[in-house]
Amino acid sequence: MEEKVKLLETEALKELVKIEDLKTLADFKVKYIGKQGQFTALLRGMKEIPAEDRPKFGAIINSVRERLENIIEETEEKLNLKELERKLTEEKIDITEPAKNTERGQIHPLNKVMNKLMEACVEMGFTVVDGPEIETDYYNFEALNIPKDHPARDMQDSFYITQNLIMRSQTSAMQIRAMEAMKPPIKIVSPGRTYRADSDATHSPVFHQLEGLVVDENISMIDLKALLTKLLKMLFGENTQIRFRPSFFPFTEPSVEVDATCPMCGGKGCPRCKGSGFMELLGAGMVNPKVLENCGIDSKKYSGLAFGFGVDRFAITEYKVPSIRMMFENDIKFLSQIK
Amino acid sequence: MKVTLNWLKEFVKIDISPEELADKLTNAGLEVEEIEYQNKHLHDVYVCKILSIQKHPNAEKLDVCQVDLGDRKLQIITAAKNIREGDYVPVALDGADLVNGVKIKKSNLRGEVSEGMFCSGEELGITEDYYKGANIYGILVLNEKHDLGEKIETALGLDDVIFDINITPNRPDCMSVVGIAREISAILKTPLISQDPYYEVDKTDDVKNYVSVEVKNFDLCPRYIATVVKDITIKESPMWLKKRINAVGIKCVNNIVDITNYVLVEQGQPMHAFDEKYIEGNKIIIRNAVSGEKISVLNGNTYELKPSFNVVADAVKPNVIAGIIGGVNSSVTDDTTISVLEAACFERANIRSTSRAIGVRTDSTARFEKGVDIGSPIQGMQTALSLVYKLQAGTIVSGMIDVKSYEPKERELTFSLKRIFKILGIKVENKEILNILSCLGLKPEINGDVLKCVVPIFRTDIENDADIAEEIIRLYGYDVYDNLDVPALKDSAYTIGKFNPLLHMQNKLKNILCDDGYYETLNYTFCPPNACDLVLLTPEHKNYNMIKLGNPISDELSCVRTNMVFSMLNSLSYNVKHGNKNLRFFEAGRIYLPKELPLNEQPEEINMLSIGAIDENIDFYTLKGTIEKLLSYFNFKYELKYSSLPYMHPGMSADIIDRASQEIICTFGVVHPKVCANFELPEKTLYAEIYIDKLLSFKENKVTVKPISKFPYVERDLAVIVDEEITAEKLLSSVKKSAGNLYYSASIFDIYRNKSLGENKKSIALHIVLSSQDKTLTEEEVNSSMNKILKDCEYKFGAKLR
Repeated sequence: MEEKVKLLETEALKELVKIEDLKTLADFKVKYIGKQGQFTALLRGMKEIPAEDRPKFGAIINSVRERLENIIEETEEKLNLKELERKLTEEKIDITEPAKNTERGQIHPLNKVMNKLMEACVEMGFTVVDGPEIETDYYNFEALNIPKDHPARDMQDSFYITQNLIMRSQTSAMQIRAMEAMKPPIKIVSPGRTYRADSDATHSPVFHQLEGLVVDENISMIDLKALLTKLLKMLFGENTQIRFRPSFFPFTEPSVEVDATCPMCGGKGCPRCKGSGFMELLGAGMVNPKVLENCGIDSKKYSGLAFGFGVDRFAITEYKVPSIRMMFENDIKFLSQIK
Repeated sequence: MKVTLNWLKEFVKIDISPEELADKLTNAGLEVEEIEYQNKHLHDVYVCKILSIQKHPNAEKLDVCQVDLGDRKLQIITAAKNIREGDYVPVALDGADLVNGVKIKKSNLRGEVSEGMFCSGEELGITEDYYKGANIYGILVLNEKHDLGEKIETALGLDDVIFDINITPNRPDCMSVVGIAREISAILKTPLISQDPYYEVDKTDDVKNYVSVEVKNFDLCPRYIATVVKDITIKESPMWLKKRINAVGIKCVNNIVDITNYVLVEQGQPMHAFDEKYIEGNKIIIRNAVSGEKISVLNGNTYELKPSFNVVADAVKPNVIAGIIGGVNSSVTDDTTISVLEAACFERANIRSTSRAIGVRTDSTARFEKGVDIGSPIQGMQTALSLVYKLQAGTIVSGMIDVKSYEPKERELTFSLKRIFKILGIKVENKEILNILSCLGLKPEINGDVLKCVVPIFRTDIENDADIAEEIIRLYGYDVYDNLDVPALKDSAYTIGKFNPLLHMQNKLKNILCDDGYYETLNYTFCPPNACDLVLLTPEHKNYNMIKLGNPISDELSCVRTNMVFSMLNSLSYNVKHGNKNLRFFEAGRIYLPKELPLNEQPEEINMLSIGAIDENIDFYTLKGTIEKLLSYFNFKYELKYSSLPYMHPGMSADIIDRASQEIICTFGVVHPKVCANFELPEKTLYAEIYIDKLLSFKENKVTVKPISKFPYVERDLAVIVDEEITAEKLLSSVKKSAGNLYYSASIFDIYRNKSLGENKKSIALHIVLSSQDKTLTEEEVNSSMNKILKDCEYKFGAKLR
């Protein structure tokens, strides 16, 4: 009897090592330890052996059966793993095939730059304000120290609608509205559309400005310098330097042109900055005391600084857009390049 | 403003290079836009004498010339026929690079060597008014003998350097050689070379014997000076004078006219020369024009004058549109023998508006409209007379008529150093300030905080502390700020920045649209006059009337838009025409609605968001999905109605109407096929517009969370057949009502249309979820609820279970 068990075990083990799939393993399980299995049969045949030997044989059979069961389990696990591996290999896909339904649209390059500028200003404590684009002569010119028939009007060729109403030629018009409505300290930026009767490769009749204004006690040229340096560093990187050149705007005195380290070459000199390493980026200055007085602000107590960006030029520089016209054509081949 | 280096050098010592000078001027606020070397294209061109001319042995049309260059003799081949042996001509040798782009090389022409080429006046960049013979077709034959081998630039007086300087409107005093020389003297800290105009007069005669002057309106003419020159011989000006005015781009005419132009450039004082015999009644009257008066002027035109124009008239007729242009019947001509010279001061705003009204701009208006100060005419007149004397152009009659409204006086002003430093943010040494301001001729004195200056008559721009601060810093040098490292606004109040609410919301909406694959576009605010017609708007519509620009660039951009749809369809159309596909666009922009036309007050400016799509993956319902996404931010209840906008498809577009105000918040759907055709767009082009100003009035959605039931949610599907008229919305709201407090959600997952369902019928499949907060629903409860839902649908809509 004992031998019989041994023999069956050897036979079973021999068979088991050859099993390579779960189906055969299941058959094997049935064949040996299932309800009709051979080991079960052996157990059933116990009644034929003497009663005193039964516990011993029972133990032998059970231990063999137990061993077998363990091995079956191990094999099953191994085969399961193998099966999973096969499945995974089979399911492999081409991950370079195009994605589905993922194309995202984009904000227009101009507004990307505008947003960047506004965010930087808000971070520095500026409030963004907005105003009418069809302005009165007073807000666009008179109050900004540009009287009727003053030569300074020739600096901008504005679109007029009536004697008194024009398409605003500068966001500076908002300076006046803000100063009328607020009390110092005033820190505002006003972004928006501006209009001049100019149209060629570098000028668009519709363009965009961002005007900044600070009015408080103790505002000086140093603040202007420090503020613009900070702002331009935020936009073009920590290595950006700025410098002032004298200029003239009727609403600021002193007035300056602000040059910054050329964002295209980082100051090394390139065709874009004509080798100078600097690029003219904006106009700025100290608010003309006459303008403060026009808005009912005491110019003996308060002073102000103002700066104005031409945002279209910024965007064109940033994205190297070949012509300003492209900015308004809305060709999807252009728009979809902006990421 | 153009000036030449040599001219400047007459007034101030300059011993730095033109480039250095240009840099310094630019850094002091006089931006040099261009430096032009007159001799740029004259190198390797010399004066030679033609020794002999012989026929070319192998070429019918060519001649072989032997020329003398002083130190050597050369052979030159030419085709020109206007030269003779013994002529002095310019010859360009190997290496020359002429103004017309021709580069000269030694060459061999049919077996004969040519060392260079003879030049014409045109090839040297000169014109007939400057040099007689310059316009002759052929070779420029020089009028005088020169040293052989002399550089042509010296021979023709083209050896100056010209600066083109951008003078800002606040500095009319720099619109002259003298003015720029004054600045250079301040920048280089070298004194001006003083000029004493010298002339002698005929004491036996007096200006009053010829003319009297009366100024009617001193506002328009604060000063008028007249003098008389007699025994005039009109002739060509000498080379040195022609050289000057030619270099700055003024045409040479004759000695008298050239003198007035010379004064204009050098002193910044426009002048006029009358022929005395045409001044009727021996009277010069400066007055407003009389309505209907006419004048024929030197540009060949005749103008009808308006009373706002200022004229220089005689007893009978206007002779000059004051400060702008002279009449043909009173100006100097070749037979003039007596001339009245005018140097005056005309009011700048009047010159500007008159010049624009008649569309005439001259060198004179360019000065006058910037402002000629009241001290200027006397300087100008004295310079002019000294030139008359120097050129021996005529005899100067003694006396000068000088009519002025007030005596020009220097202004004594005081400023506060403290405030100046406060503006600059830096302190400048008193010594430095005194030095700078002295160089500018402001005669400064400092006493404690008080800075006293005597402002010269010509510095009309200096009024307050800020003006003086600018004078100091521009000459002290802005580079003082280059290396300062101070925190921004350190002495200013702390403020918290914030976005404008509209822009903030706009950006949020834009991002949603980007996520749905839409690209932002930008369009001009301007559109053509037919923009409204193209989108089928009619005069009854409040958006039909557009504001028109007074001075549009083109007809295409002559009106201010009153709708967003034109721009959007235009952008789509541009892309379709360029073969682009899958177009999803949006634009955030304004429309401008006039309250009345012509415009009396500022129009209403309305912020809008427009969306357009031509894309096979986008239909009405996908667009609707995007719209719902956008509106889901805002807390308002709305209903849908078919849109009646003329540019929308009446059956495939919807208005979203705010329940509370009954205002249209949004319109979306398919564009009207006729409009699509007008823009050459495919039918089924999609468009939407949202009034975002209105959205801003709604609060953002505030949500209270409902508890999640611990008990199972029961899902049931139900398909019913209904008439086409029964809308999805009606059905869903009925389901919700019927389910009562067991209602959790209901949605449509399929709509099916087939003839087998019957005429005008559709089948709608609903997915209904029921739940209860406090128990597990029994089969009976669910069934009874579903039954009620169905029964109600049958009763209300005649629905049949499918």
